[in-house]
Amino acid sequence: MKKDSVDDILTRYFAPDADAGDLAKQVLTAARESARQTSRLLDRISIQATPRGVSLIRAERLEKPASAAARRLAERAREELSEYFEGKRAFFSVPVDLTETPDFQKKVLAAARAIPFGEVRPYAWVAQRIGHPRAVRAVGTALGRNPVPFIVPCHRVLQTGGGLGGYFFGTDVKSRLLSLERVTPIYEGCTSTRIICRVGCVHGRHMRPDNRVVFASVDDARSIGYRPCKVCKPQAA
Amino acid sequence: MDEERRLMGRVARGDEAAFTELVARYGGRLRGVARRLLGSRADAEDAVQRALLQCYLGAGTYRAEWAVSTWLYRILTNVCVDELRRRKSRSGEIEPPARPDPPDAHLDLRRALGGVPTEARVLLALRYVDGLTYGELARIRGISVNTVKSQLQRGKSLLKSALVKGGAV
Repeated sequence: MKKDSVDDILTRYFAPDADAGDLAKQVLTAARESARQTSRLLDRISIQATPRGVSLIRAERLEKPASAAARRLAERAREELSEYFEGKRAFFSVPVDLTETPDFQKKVLAAARAIPFGEVRPYAWVAQRIGHPRAVRAVGTALGRNPVPFIVPCHRVLQTGGGLGGYFFGTDVKSRLLSLERVTPIYEGCTSTRIICRVGCVHGRHMRPDNRVVFASVDDARSIGYRPCKVCKPQAA
Repeated sequence: MDEERRLMGRVARGDEAAFTELVARYGGRLRGVARRLLGSRADAEDAVQRALLQCYLGAGTYRAEWAVSTWLYRILTNVCVDELRRRKSRSGEIEPPARPDPPDAHLDLRRALGGVPTEARVLLALRYVDGLTYGELARIRGISVNTVKSQLQRGKSLLKSALVKGGAV
């Protein structure tokens, strides 16, 4: 039998996996890339807050929060965002202040917040959920004006066919956030306390890296003797 | 042992040649475990790369009381368990591999393994792919040796009843 393109495909498919040199090289390239991207994104962001919560996250320079309480919240949001971009946080605990936001947009943002970490939904799903199934375009506009991107995850809303749609910080950032969420776990346990938390819980910060185990569900963790954290309540996630 | 720990020390200082050596030593074994756990070659390759990336970036946190292989398996199982979670949330309770490989003689077993709870499945894979001891398994998942034994037992009996039901045994 003559060697042809099918032979090549079969050879590649059944070949032993890429050799160690290649694998190491790929990982090293990814390591350089990941460090660069995280710091770049965080440097671009300005955060405005009121004493009630974070009120605006934008790429341009914003006025400093007026009160000390507001400054603390803005600072906390920056910390949480930094952890999120590093894949060490799967939820935000800092409050948001949407009192200035119109009612329709508030509903849209609340629907977006209901999309679980790491998952995506179409614009039409959001429209359906807020009881205005035909207002898909208005939903898109409302999400496009999301005052607190990242924290209210408008990046998890895509076009029905799977297209990215728009994004305030550009579609490349949107797709990077989705990839980031695909590789960030949401439950982690500590082997010394036998407690399971949501990734990003305050307990996780004090956990030694070699005490960290990832779980697929709270029930899995329970089945081997871990209990849910009382602070972050992972069973409600 | 000491030599491997020295190798980890070099990786922690950013020595890329040391990292390549580490990958040469463990890459194959890590792939074996990931492949058995996730079913598909593409997903396994992706999981191993992510685990090695975490290993490279976190080499500074490696502590000499760990055997290097145990430490690497901890990182790899963390990645694989999260991948299994994601599949579950995508497809309800059924967990087919995302991109299944062509059918083979082990199809019945693979299907039966899909019905075994995640923790037991992880332990079975580590135990049977690389013959790890109960002590190592306990360390990797942060549980007691007795829990390891009961989980393995439970996993095996679930597998057995699934295989009997499917007529494979």
